[in-house]
Amino acid sequence: MLWLGIDVGGTFTDLVLYDEASGAMRLEKTPSTPRDHAEGMMTGIGRLALALERVERVAHGTTVATNIALERSGARMAVVTTRGFRDVLEVGRGNRLVLYDIKATRPPALVPRSLRFEVGERTLFDGTVLQPPPAEDLERIVEALRASGVEAVAVCYLHAYANAENERRTREAIVKALPHVFVATSCEVLPEYREYERFATTALNVYVAPRVRRYLTSVATRLAAQGYCRPLAVMTSNGGTLPAERVADLPVHSMLSGPAAGVIGAAHVGRACGHADLITYDMGGTSTDVCLVRAGQFAMTTEGRVGTLPNRVLQIEINSIGAGGGSIAALGAGRFLNVGPESAGAVPGPACYGRGGEQPTVTDANVVLERLGTAKPLGGEIRLDPERARTAVSRLATALGVDVATMADGIVKLAVVKMTGAIKEISIMRGHDPRAFTLFAYGGAGPLHAAFVAAELGMSRVMVPPMPGNFSAFGLLVADVRHDEVRTRVTRTTDLGFAELERHFGELTARSRERLAQDGFAAAAMRFEASLDMRYVGQAFELSVPFDTSLVTMKDVERAFYAAHEARYVHATDDPVEIVSLRVSAYGIVAKPALPRAPATGSLAAARVDERAVLFDATPTATAVYARERLPSGAVLEGPALIEEAGTTTVVPPGFRASVDAHANLFLEAGAR
Amino acid sequence: MTALDPITLEILTEVLISIVREMRATVFRTARSVAIYEAKDFSCGLFDHTSEVIAQSEDIGAHVVPLPWSVRSAMAEFKDDLAPGDVILLNDPYRGGTHLNDVTLIYPVFEAGRLILFPAVREHWADVGGMVPGSLSGEATSIYQEGVRIPPIKIVERGTPNRAAMTLLLSNMRVPDEREGDFHAGLAACKTAERRIREAIARYGLDMLLAAIRQNLDRSESRMRDRIATLPDGEYYYEDYLETFPGGRLEPLLLPLRLTVRGSELVADFTGASPQVPVPVNSTLAVSAASVFIALKSILDPAAPLNQGSFRPISVIAPEGTIVNVTAPAPAGSHGEIRKRVIAVTVGALAQVVPDLVAGDLFRTSFHNLVGGVHPRTGKEFVHYEWASGGNGAFAEDDGPSAMASIDWGDLNTVQSTEVLETRFPLRLEWSALATDSGGDGRQRGGLSMHRGIRLVAPTATYSVLADGAILPAFGVLGGGSGSPVDSHVIRDGGQVRFATPGKVGGFSLVKDDVLVLQSAGGGGYGDPLERPVEHVLSDWREGYISAHRCRDRYGVVVGASGEVDAAATEALRRQLAARRLRLTVVETQADLYLRGAVSRRRICRLSPADAAGAGLDDGAIVELVGSSAPLRAWLVIDGAVQSGTLPLDTLGRRVLGAAVGAPLHVRAL
Repeated sequence: MLWLGIDVGGTFTDLVLYDEASGAMRLEKTPSTPRDHAEGMMTGIGRLALALERVERVAHGTTVATNIALERSGARMAVVTTRGFRDVLEVGRGNRLVLYDIKATRPPALVPRSLRFEVGERTLFDGTVLQPPPAEDLERIVEALRASGVEAVAVCYLHAYANAENERRTREAIVKALPHVFVATSCEVLPEYREYERFATTALNVYVAPRVRRYLTSVATRLAAQGYCRPLAVMTSNGGTLPAERVADLPVHSMLSGPAAGVIGAAHVGRACGHADLITYDMGGTSTDVCLVRAGQFAMTTEGRVGTLPNRVLQIEINSIGAGGGSIAALGAGRFLNVGPESAGAVPGPACYGRGGEQPTVTDANVVLERLGTAKPLGGEIRLDPERARTAVSRLATALGVDVATMADGIVKLAVVKMTGAIKEISIMRGHDPRAFTLFAYGGAGPLHAAFVAAELGMSRVMVPPMPGNFSAFGLLVADVRHDEVRTRVTRTTDLGFAELERHFGELTARSRERLAQDGFAAAAMRFEASLDMRYVGQAFELSVPFDTSLVTMKDVERAFYAAHEARYVHATDDPVEIVSLRVSAYGIVAKPALPRAPATGSLAAARVDERAVLFDATPTATAVYARERLPSGAVLEGPALIEEAGTTTVVPPGFRASVDAHANLFLEAGAR
Repeated sequence: MTALDPITLEILTEVLISIVREMRATVFRTARSVAIYEAKDFSCGLFDHTSEVIAQSEDIGAHVVPLPWSVRSAMAEFKDDLAPGDVILLNDPYRGGTHLNDVTLIYPVFEAGRLILFPAVREHWADVGGMVPGSLSGEATSIYQEGVRIPPIKIVERGTPNRAAMTLLLSNMRVPDEREGDFHAGLAACKTAERRIREAIARYGLDMLLAAIRQNLDRSESRMRDRIATLPDGEYYYEDYLETFPGGRLEPLLLPLRLTVRGSELVADFTGASPQVPVPVNSTLAVSAASVFIALKSILDPAAPLNQGSFRPISVIAPEGTIVNVTAPAPAGSHGEIRKRVIAVTVGALAQVVPDLVAGDLFRTSFHNLVGGVHPRTGKEFVHYEWASGGNGAFAEDDGPSAMASIDWGDLNTVQSTEVLETRFPLRLEWSALATDSGGDGRQRGGLSMHRGIRLVAPTATYSVLADGAILPAFGVLGGGSGSPVDSHVIRDGGQVRFATPGKVGGFSLVKDDVLVLQSAGGGGYGDPLERPVEHVLSDWREGYISAHRCRDRYGVVVGASGEVDAAATEALRRQLAARRLRLTVVETQADLYLRGAVSRRRICRLSPADAAGAGLDDGAIVELVGSSAPLRAWLVIDGAVQSGTLPLDTLGRRVLGAAVGAPLHVRAL
């Protein structure tokens, strides 16, 4: 049987096809089609020339939900909320996003005030219903919703995490009267406390849901037309997949779909090859995503954002910065040289794309430095024009009074400094020494810069997996199905018995077991992880504490929290502790593709395809060029060298040594002469 | 001088900023005060040997920007008497500090026997002793009640900790082990910085590093000079007030600012400011000067990187013993009010020069509200502290943002979660909403304030507030109207209980089911409200940002029964409203237009009895003289000697308002 991973990114659509019988993998890359992403996807499938009836599973990474949110092109929607609180969504936490600017504004709320309706209902913090939603309020609101012509509604009541009854009744009333309107309640989307974050996440979900549903339906229909009728698995931000129907209801979980697939793939490959401590470094055209993986486990967070909008669902802690191959280098006021955050994007793209871009980008600089080969077109379509790259870079060089080689070298060095800054934030700033980690580089521009990034951080090893240009699509094939359940019960540890805690976890586990069974998993292929969000009484932030069989009393739970606090904040006291939320993550384990293998035979000489003068520190240096697919297992080569393959080039700077392992991973190590 | 290419310069700049970020992360990760690791009430900086800040963390402006003043003061104390291994500690507000809770650590780094750089950290310690837990008290009449004062001392000397000093300090603070933890967090941050500085020197060389620092300061300076040079030379003046109630009567404290632009330099002179008072209104030179800088940066060059270069062309004169440069032993605990008023006068003065760049005044106050008592569920004491932000000022391009942290606050959460609050305290929020009509009218409307109703569900509690702007609201500019003032009152048994000293209440007793109503201040408007595009007025009304009443009476927009604008009626009403304004002919006067109160002076406006009666204004009413930039506020004196139809105005007033003798000027009630 065949497995197909399709990752639709902002610039390119990447596909990986795996043949379970032979272990063979085929890659395809085609420009994305933002007007209708399904189109680019079908082009890619067409190029693979495969019979979709033979495909057993399709896993999909998509930026659709994220793009709808960022472009503000979602549904016309309304919010139904507790009387007195319709402005929660507009005011948020009353903070300021732009410092020191008297003209800073706040982005408008997703829903205008006149479409935020109030109901005279109220639940208290302990779940007591003080006032059920009055029938006359519900009637009035249903009529107002009908008159407003909205296609989606978010029901957001105070303390719904503690008791969802009022939200449920309101939902029923709306669905009954307006069956074609999409309705979601805050306790379905995010049953956690802090109303702004819950309401905002719910509104975001509702805002993108109708268009995401249409998109996923269109994808499923087109796949079905070609013979694929099994479930479509969609990658979600927590590193697992969910069936498309569930993502259509909860699209807010798919905001990190593509980046999460890459991290999952990295953790999998790293673990399988004996490198469990990684910093993933995915550099694409417009952004770079980095994530810390420790002992095979990636960090999770609930502090996510989509642009300026909070998204508090549990997600992989990925630090994303707006700098990639397409980032523009420009001179600002006071002669401050910047690389990014302005990006040439996919259109017009870097100057060397010849699609109208005139400003120099990081990609153009790499072309000028002769690091990026221009012989083969990108994604089968885009030819790189070295002259345009040189013209763009030299214009900036003239403005700064340096030569073009120094300028190009400088642009790359500044981009590298930005990358290291992003990595410091998830490592050094969190108390992890990056030198103890392997830099795991992929994405179209990752392997181009990885050695320099590693050197800057004192990291001794870079790992470039096979197919780095399609790596996220590969990650889709190793992702398990994952359901997360959460229950908020703000309680001091002294007020809650251990048996009660176990009962809550039992209920959450039972519910997720049911979901996995619905997805078709046998008990043997299920795995559950429980954790607690805890804090000292008085704190505003929680820490996640694993709840496993080693904990048998509430004292154990407290001790586990103290240890977690000490690990993160260096100190811990025995002050009173409270539990905020209980979480269960349930995994449906899928079969994983076998890792690729490097050719057992072959030689460096045979893999060597070219030699050219590449600029290192602005100095032309004779550099051998190798075809990656021809490098045999165990090959070792000294920098300077370039290793080319479809979709990317790995730069081995002078003083670095590259080696190939049995699974065709490339390792770059510094100072290994 | 070492030649530095532009790319290495940028890379070293990133290296320096990244050192500060790492310091910040270290403090954040290891400090013990909740204020530090939750409210981020701390700041870090790197300074060169001349005490100029070369890189700063970016967060809460109120905290970060005054840091260089503290460092300079400490360095003045020790001059050459510094050796490797010394660590300086200080919090003295009279010597470069802000308030006593802000404790600063300074850590000189030497290379080859030469002082090159020093990292510094300032942290808000949760308690530094004094009359109340937390050290900040609205009741303080002298600094001795606000905690332990630490002049610049060497808390570590040549690597040896001064245990005597440390023990003495900690013995005077509540929860001393936590404070010791905060101290060590700051020290750890400085040591991290030292390590990174040495790494940078090893890699790039000391000369290269110092050259980068010099060039960065110089280019920031030239960037700020370029901005100032675009302003026409001249002297610009503005004045505003802070509110106190000695003996229960309003005593406004005058804060005047004379802003002089000469070429690429700028002088902010507060001569004439009210003498300091024995209540927590005063602040320090560091705070006042930093606030001038925050306002200038936010108006002239928001995107500029933070280093001392951009401070160089700006000087601040603040006479000692005044509310903007407090001296011993007056209290210095509250600085939020001075900060916002210094920003207000800077905006007011610049409104005469760069009307396109300024905004209406922002929400006047930090609005510290405290509700405390015993929680019936736990039997333990609780204190709910809230500081809801209000409306920001409108500006040429847009309406002011509603309920958003101001420029001196930065990215601080100012509206607390109802669910968190109800889980923690015996309180229930009845509503938490934007207040309709609270934004100043204008062509661009000022931001709306927060309006919160908090029900007490415990048997009893007490309420205190320390705020300002309850009498004088945020002003609009270029004819824009004022935002609504700060207010708090109690709804009890269906009636309203109001306070005689609004904004300054201590220990008011609340009983069960009282609803405490808190309303922050609205932001000032921009431009004449009668020029606001009709469709914006209509949309404001439909969205409930303004009432039907205001839509008609202030904006002159007539909405028909169908919900559509009646264009003809609107045009007629707008003409009528404009004609109805009290416009008086400006006449020259040599008389002193300031009235001396118990402490300070206030501006007066003399009107003829006929004009006052015609406008329905009583003697003592507060009026606003509306000119071409920011309005002047004045207390009305009805004077039979003034000819009706005229307004005597001094030279200063005419200059601020851009009003020539013989020209008409709009006067309105506040």
